[in-house]
Amino acid sequence: MRVAVIGAGAVGARAARQLHDAAEDLVVVDADGARAEAVVSALGKPARLVGDVDDAVTGASVAVLAVGTGHRALAERALERGADVVSVADTLTEVSELLALDPEARERGRYVVAGAGFSPGLACVLARHAAADFDRVDEVHVCRSGTGGPACARQHHRALSAGAVEWRDRAWVRRRGGSGRELCWFPDPIGAVDCYRGGLAEPLLLAPAFDGVQRVSARLAASRGERMLSWLPMLGRAPEEGGPGGLRVEVRGGQGPARAVRVLGAIDRPSVAAGVVAAVTAVWVVEGRLARTGVAGLAELVEPVPFLAELARRGVRAAVFEGTAGGVVTG
Amino acid sequence: MRALRRALLALGIAAAIAGVLRLRGSGGVPPQGGGWRELSGPDLR
Repeated sequence: MRVAVIGAGAVGARAARQLHDAAEDLVVVDADGARAEAVVSALGKPARLVGDVDDAVTGASVAVLAVGTGHRALAERALERGADVVSVADTLTEVSELLALDPEARERGRYVVAGAGFSPGLACVLARHAAADFDRVDEVHVCRSGTGGPACARQHHRALSAGAVEWRDRAWVRRRGGSGRELCWFPDPIGAVDCYRGGLAEPLLLAPAFDGVQRVSARLAASRGERMLSWLPMLGRAPEEGGPGGLRVEVRGGQGPARAVRVLGAIDRPSVAAGVVAAVTAVWVVEGRLARTGVAGLAELVEPVPFLAELARRGVRAAVFEGTAGGVVTG
Repeated sequence: MRALRRALLALGIAAAIAGVLRLRGSGGVPPQGGGWRELSGPDLR
């Protein structure tokens, strides 16, 4: 199979590395040619450099979009040239624009996987797995902490001041970014961190995945200083690589007459985990293992158990919380 | 004029104190019983 990796940053480089063994032809393109060349040199054959996105996606089985912005335009170009698409987009706007491509993707019989990174991608898989034992899912609440590369850090900064959307009582509700502080427990060593609403894409991908779900929300961890300064341009330089990141996915539902809560989580470097999730998704796309064509998130598209098993084999491990978690919502 | 200056000074001090309190926070971490267990083996079959 021929795989095109668009973007050779923190996530794209990891995705390319993960795809190196599976791909017969691995083409890498980046606006920064030197960065793409460094990735290709490090990987060796069958990785090779191309100078243009159209050259990269023409003849490719699947295109992995690991760029900061412009996912919809790139996805359209890939679809026009007969390639399936795996996008690691994680912003509300980018994912929303991708979802609008659903009719075109279905008409072409193509897969477009939106948000196939650490968050919302892995969060979607965890939510699907957490819901496996429930007859019905009432609520899904996601918290994430940490950032990957510079684009991810900028997105984190913007998300705190951007408007958030939540699925509440079967309707979309707009909420103010930075509101809704909630103390969330992540897997060790992150532990308890305050999280706030933000411009995150999880609700857009999770609400359609669970019939009858009443509430879907997403929050991101931030210090009070980050929250207070989020309305300003990012003051410092975005780090090349963030520290460990965490996910916490709480699913509330029913097993017969009883109500139950299941909490799953993960901890990893976000860009590393995102690269692995994107690569495994790309392999599944090529193998035709997704549930349907069109645009959707991983909660709708993959069987969670084999997907998580493959992630674990590649070093990205999930965890389940067993016990009683304390938490407080303060407004 | 003096009253206005005093009022502004008081407002400024109040805002500074509020900002410090907002940044520091006052809540503790609620207790948590249990812990995280890695999904493996039987969980992923």
